Amino acid sequence: MPDELVRAESVTKVFRTRAGEVRAVDDVSLTVHRGETLGLVGESGSGKSTVARLMMGLQPCTSGRVVFDGNDLGQLPARELRVLRPRMQMVFQNPYGSLLPHFSAIGNVMEPLRLHERGDKASRRTRALELLDLVGINTHNAELYPRQFSGGQQQRIAIARALALEPDLLVCDEPTSSLDVSIQAQILELFTDLRNRLGLSMLFISHNLAVVERLADRVAVMNKGQVVEESPTETLFRAPQDPYTRQLLSAVLPVRAE
Amino acid sequence: MNDEALLSVRDLRTTFGSSLTAVDGVSFDVRRGQALAIVGESGSGKSVTMRSVMGILPRTARITGGQAYFGGRDLLAIGDKELRKIRGREIAMVFQSAMEAMNPTLTLERQLTEHLIWHGLCNKAEARKRAVRALGDVGIPDPEKRIRTYPFQLSGGMRQRAMIAMAMVTEPDLLIADEPTTAVDVTVQRQILDLLKGLKDRGTGVIMITHDLGVARYFCDDAVVMYAGRVVERAPMASLLDDPRHPYTVGLLGSSVEVGGRELALRPIPGSPPDLSRRPVGCAFHPRCPRAELPRCQTEQEILTIGPDRDAACWKVTVDA
Ligand SMILES: Nc1ncnc2c1ncn2[C@@H]1O[C@H](COP(=O)(O)OP(=O)(O)OP(=O)(O)O)[C@@H](O)[C@H]1O
Ligand SMILES: Nc1ncnc2c1ncn2[C@@H]1O[C@H](COP(=O)(O)OP(=O)(O)O)[C@@H](O)[C@H]1O
Ligand code: SF4
Ligand SMILES: [Mg+2]
Ligand SMILES: [Mg+2]
Repeated sequence: MPDELVRAESVTKVFRTRAGEVRAVDDVSLTVHRGETLGLVGESGSGKSTVARLMMGLQPCTSGRVVFDGNDLGQLPARELRVLRPRMQMVFQNPYGSLLPHFSAIGNVMEPLRLHERGDKASRRTRALELLDLVGINTHNAELYPRQFSGGQQQRIAIARALALEPDLLVCDEPTSSLDVSIQAQILELFTDLRNRLGLSMLFISHNLAVVERLADRVAVMNKGQVVEESPTETLFRAPQDPYTRQLLSAVLPVRAE
Repeated sequence: MNDEALLSVRDLRTTFGSSLTAVDGVSFDVRRGQALAIVGESGSGKSVTMRSVMGILPRTARITGGQAYFGGRDLLAIGDKELRKIRGREIAMVFQSAMEAMNPTLTLERQLTEHLIWHGLCNKAEARKRAVRALGDVGIPDPEKRIRTYPFQLSGGMRQRAMIAMAMVTEPDLLIADEPTTAVDVTVQRQILDLLKGLKDRGTGVIMITHDLGVARYFCDDAVVMYAGRVVERAPMASLLDDPRHPYTVGLLGSSVEVGGRELALRPIPGSPPDLSRRPVGCAFHPRCPRAELPRCQTEQEILTIGPDRDAACWKVTVDA
C-alpha cells in the first residue's frame, strides 16, 4: 500500500440556501497517495470543486472528516492548521483571478515566501526566478505584470506561485479549460514534467477526459454529489463499470477519424 | 459571391486604434443548413470577425473594408437601424460567456420572450409557451419554475443552456455560436450540439467558433483556420482534420489530446501567437513554424487553391495532383 497523503472519509457537505438545502457532496471517500495524481471528473455541478475545497480544509465538512498527513483538519487548532496550509496549494481555471494584478510575475511568486517568512529577500528572489524558469517563463520577463502575459503564461506563473512553498499536494481545478489546445498541450507537458521531477501529488479536476487520461494514475467519477466509480486510469477508460461513467465516455467527441 | 451562400463575407478588415489590425482581409461563406467552424488560438480574430458582421463591435473598433452579404443585403453597409431588425430574429448569437449575453437584472422569461415580442412574432402568452418549451429542450429541469429565476441563480452550465435556448427560440436563419460548450461537461455538450443539429436540419446556417476540434468534427461541415487576423486554411471539415496541410493546422492537431491517445506523443506548437500590433512580416506564423525557411516565409503568402474546395496560405503546402 503506497503512502497516503490525504484522505477524505465519508465527507458530506450541505449548503443552506434560500431555495432550501443543497447536498453538494454526499458521503464521499477519496485518498490521494504520495506522488500520485488522482483525476476527478463528472457532471457539471456534481460536487467536484466542493470536494476539492473540503480536502484543502478551506470549508468545513457537514459530516465526515479529512485527514492530511495524519492530521484531522477538522480537529486541528487554528495555529497548527496555519502551519499545514502551505503544504496544500491550488491552481484554478482562471489564472488572472489567482494572481495579484499589482505585483510583477516575480513578485507574485515571492509573495507566499514572504508571507511565510522563508529566507531573506535575496534568497526569495533567487528561488522565484528558479520557479519561473521551471515553469517556462523567460526570466527576462520576470518584472512584467500579469496582464502583460498571455493566458497560458499567466497559468504558468500561477503554477510557479502555487509551487513556491513546495507543497506536498497540488489541487488543480480545471487548470487548462480556459486555454487554447496549443497552450493546454504546453501546460500538460509542464505538469507531467513537474510530477516526474518533484514527485508532486495532485488532485486534478477536469471536464476534459483526454487530459485526465494522460495525467492521472487513478480516476474518480462523480455524479450528483457521490463518487460512482474509482479505478486505475487505464481500467476506467478501457472497462468503465458504472452506467454514468459509460455515458460520460460515450459522449466524448473524437478529433481524428476512428 | 457564391449564390447558394446564406452569408458571404469578403475581404473583411477591422482595426482598433491606428496600429492594430485584428481582422485582415477575411473571406468565407456559410451555407443554408450547414455549419462552418472557425478555429484558431485566442487572439486570432475569431470574435472580432463575428462582431463585425453583427455590428456589435466596441466603440474603439473600425471596419475599414469588406462586405458581408446576407439575404441580398450587405450587413456592413445597411446601418444600425436595419441591423437591429435582423439581429435576434434572422441572426442570433450565443456568446463565449453567458454572463455577457444575459441581463443580470431580468428574469429568464423577460429575456427569452423579448425578441419574440419585440419582432412581433407572437403575443405574450404564446411567447411564454415557446420560451418554456425552449428551456425544456435544452435540458433545463422544471422549466415552468426556472423561467421565473434570474441568471445568477443558475449554475454555469445551466446559464449556458438558457442562453442557447434564447438564441434558438426565434428559429434564426443564421446562428453564430462563440465557444458555446466550453463551460459544460461532455454529456451536456453532446445534448446541446444535438439540439443545434436539429436547428441545422431545419435550414439554419451556423458559424461555430471553437477550439475543441472534436466538437468541430461532430457538428461542422466546413472549416476555416485563422491565425493573426487572417484565414490560413479553408477546407471541408473532415478533410481538414484527416489531412491538414497548413503547418499551423498541423500544429493545432498535434496539440489536441484525445481519449485513447495516452501513448501518442504531444507535439505542441512552441511559443504563443503574436501581438497583432507587431505582426511578423510575411507569414505571421514563421517565428513558430517548424517548416519555416527564411527569407521566403517573410514575404506575403498568397492564398493557393490546393484541392477541391480547399485552399491555404503557405507556399510549402502539398497541392493535390
Ligand atoms: N457556496 C455555495 N452555496 C450554495 N450552493 C453551493 C455553493 N457552492 C456550491 N454549491 C452547490 O453545490 C453543488 C456542487 O457544486 P460544485 O461547484 O462543487 O460543482 P462542480 O462539480 O465543481 O461543477 P462544475 O463542473 O460546473 O465546476 C452545486 O449544486 C452548486 O450549486
Ligand atoms: N476591445 C478591444 N480593444 C482592442 N483590441 C481588441 C479588442 N477586442 C479584441 N481586440 C484585439 O483583436 C484581436 C482579435 O481578438 P478576438 O477576435 O477576440 O480573438 P479570438 O476571438 O480569436 O480569441 C486581438 O489581438 C485582441 O487583442
Ligand atoms: S509560409 Fe513558411 S512559415 Fe508560413 S506556414 Fe508556410 S512554411 Fe511555415
Ligand atoms: Mg467546479
Ligand atoms: Mg473569442
